[in-house]
Amino acid sequence: MSISLTLVLQLIVNGLVVGGLLGLVALGLALIFGVIRVVNFAHGEFITLGAYLTWLIAGGLGLSPFIGIPVAFLFGALVGWVVQVLFIGRVMERPPLDSLMMTYSLSILGLGLFSFFFGGDFRSYSAGPNGDLRLAGVTVGLRSLSVLIVCVALGALVIMLLRSGRLGLAFRALAQNRDAAASCGINIRATERLAFSLAVGLAAVAGALISLIGTTTPGVGDDWLLEGFVVVVIGGMGSIPGALAGALLIGLLQSILGYALDDSWAKIITYLLLYLTLLTRPQGLLGSAMEM
Amino acid sequence: MTVLRTEGLEKSFGGLRAVRGVNFTVETGQLLGLFGPNGAGKTTLFNLIAGETRPDQGGIFLDGEDITHLAGWRRVRLGIGRTFQVTRPFRDLTVMENVLAGVPRSDATRPHDERSAYSLLERVGLAERAGDPASQLTLGMLKRLEVVRVLAIEPKLLLLDEPLAGLSVSESAELLEFVVTLKSATAIIIVDHNVRQCLPVCDTAMVMDGGEVIAHGLPEEVKTDPRVVRAYLGEEAA
Amino acid sequence: MALTRLNPAMLAATLVVGGLAAALPLMGASRYQLVLVYYFAYYLALGQAWNLMSGMTGYVSFAHGALAGIGAYATVMAMNAGVPMWLSIPIGAAVAGVSSLVIGATSLRLRGIAFTFATLFFQALALLIVRKLPAAGGAGGLPLQDILPVWLPQLFMILLAVLSTILVMVVRASRTGTRLLAIKGDEAAALSLGIASARLKLLFFCISAVLAGLAGAFHGLFTASLYPDVVFSFDMSITALAVPLIGGVATAFGPAAGAILFVGVGELLDIFAPGLHNVVIGALLVAVVLFMPLGLVPFTVGRMRDRRKDARSPAASGEYAR
Repeated sequence: MSISLTLVLQLIVNGLVVGGLLGLVALGLALIFGVIRVVNFAHGEFITLGAYLTWLIAGGLGLSPFIGIPVAFLFGALVGWVVQVLFIGRVMERPPLDSLMMTYSLSILGLGLFSFFFGGDFRSYSAGPNGDLRLAGVTVGLRSLSVLIVCVALGALVIMLLRSGRLGLAFRALAQNRDAAASCGINIRATERLAFSLAVGLAAVAGALISLIGTTTPGVGDDWLLEGFVVVVIGGMGSIPGALAGALLIGLLQSILGYALDDSWAKIITYLLLYLTLLTRPQGLLGSAMEM
Repeated sequence: MTVLRTEGLEKSFGGLRAVRGVNFTVETGQLLGLFGPNGAGKTTLFNLIAGETRPDQGGIFLDGEDITHLAGWRRVRLGIGRTFQVTRPFRDLTVMENVLAGVPRSDATRPHDERSAYSLLERVGLAERAGDPASQLTLGMLKRLEVVRVLAIEPKLLLLDEPLAGLSVSESAELLEFVVTLKSATAIIIVDHNVRQCLPVCDTAMVMDGGEVIAHGLPEEVKTDPRVVRAYLGEEAA
Repeated sequence: MALTRLNPAMLAATLVVGGLAAALPLMGASRYQLVLVYYFAYYLALGQAWNLMSGMTGYVSFAHGALAGIGAYATVMAMNAGVPMWLSIPIGAAVAGVSSLVIGATSLRLRGIAFTFATLFFQALALLIVRKLPAAGGAGGLPLQDILPVWLPQLFMILLAVLSTILVMVVRASRTGTRLLAIKGDEAAALSLGIASARLKLLFFCISAVLAGLAGAFHGLFTASLYPDVVFSFDMSITALAVPLIGGVATAFGPAAGAILFVGVGELLDIFAPGLHNVVIGALLVAVVLFMPLGLVPFTVGRMRDRRKDARSPAASGEYAR
């Protein structure tokens, strides 16, 4: 196995694409856990939602899949809002066990609905950019490149929102001290719902992008959710920088391992890394010891 | 007989020195009141003794035995019992089950069964509620349950964390009266902001401010100690 | 371990029903009926295994399907290697038990969701690893070489269902059960009362894993052919938790109600609307978590008790409610 520069660059590019998608997923998970202290096992279903929406737009209607991105975001955010109001918001005051079971149950329900309406077939579409870009001997599919660009752009946008802007401030306040945030006049309910909606919208966009470079199945979101969980555990449960750093790390790792061994081994080793993290540093790389 | 001894306890959280060089002892049959303004380090000290956190420096000795690095639940088996500031009942269990849930001290003398649990409940007037789920109790009852629950495991050292918080004057007086009756078998450290009602029943008082012990002695002495007055009321009052 | 609250009527009922179920083949029940009863016993056994750990401590496990699967593979592989059945089955159970110690050692010292994640990834890992193991037949499947007469695994499963139900009954009535529920209620408070939380959790997780392993082993002997994608799919872990959650967590009879529901719903759906299984189970779970978090049986029993209290003294019913 000769390690040439082009090979390394290729692996890095592939890793960045996966890392970018994982970043969107992990960002949502970290946001939800940070602001409303819920581990969202239903997150995968929102990814799948975005994927099927885009497939319907691009495969069914023949339009550009890039339309799917804002549509997925808006639709996802809307569904997320409804889910938060009807289901998750109702069990948040209860012991954390209940919210865990609620999101997990919603996940089962969602998966069942997708299987029922779309069947188990692998869906893909030909609309959208096709072909490759060759740069310095490295081949990047145009689709993958678009995914990477959108991920980075969206990620940067969300970071900006969180850093400046009143919403971001509200999120951070809630994450640090709920009671203090309430007494500062922050509307807790609205902030929680916005956090959830935003996070879920991001998941739906991730799904839209995933449908572009992969195939869509009822379980596609859950597969990515698993990886997303590895990222947030290793990065630190409520930590945004941790989510991004972790996504990059896992993306690159899987790219390298996928090449050196195979995809299954890449996953096996990644999951074993999770166990190692739990054993040695359960709060993750950037989380605080309170998180776990 | 000295039940608890601490030596040079130090604990910092990041840049904040929550506990600085705390040394004190508590004897069997003694009720020690621990007072001080908010942020003085009282809760941290409690947590260090109970085992919820480990000190950065210093030692804790129970009956002469070094328990500084012992896990919390092991300290309970050796005889430390604590209550919590905000009561933590087992909501879905009955009052009786709450009392029986604990594991008694290794060298306990009383049997840990329904009969002795019932008599403990009788002492605080909760006997008729024995079969009710804890979620149905009022705050006053929950405070009493909190104390009875830890008594059932026969602690040598009882740490009461703000047992009077949220109680009316008469409820507080009743609870304090009950606490005083426990002295013969146990050493007790009580932390509370209700200095007016607590201080008079203490054998010794200890005041903390900024992580340090600024006064330690008889209640009447401590009450008039200028450093204590300054800590609570500011410079002008002293 | 005072068992003052063990209800002899419940114990007797369990044994009687179990005996009847075991005797069904002799009473001329049809093959279809026997299979239904078998699946009832399987879901009940698996559900009680989950109940014993997650129902009592509140530490949710997503790995019980995998633990059952490990029991199945270990047992079948042992039997194919010539090990007699009476030894292969304990081997399967033991391998499942040891696996639980590995998961537990990494995650049960921690509070909160670490354990749940550890089990989630254990389930995922099990599938990935077994697919790669040549000795386990890989993705092609592992057949049991000497197929047993079907009544034998059926009998075993019924016995296991009875045993695990009685075990939950006994634990629930004991001081240890109170302590497990204390951990579930408020772990910090439980620790402050001297309860050795980490050890208790690990012990019960191990017992629970052994039970799940046995259920898997018997099921492996029943189906006589193991495919990793089927055996280690998340479906079995979902069943393991849905049966007690819907029926009644931390109770002995709740999972029985859940298992009946599962079998009943499964049959109905097969006739009327195949493919809706997850939708119905998911919807039921959501409804239970929202409106009756303790499960169907405790909810119904609680309602009946309230109504009886109302009937006796209408004024008293509202007195102690918050």
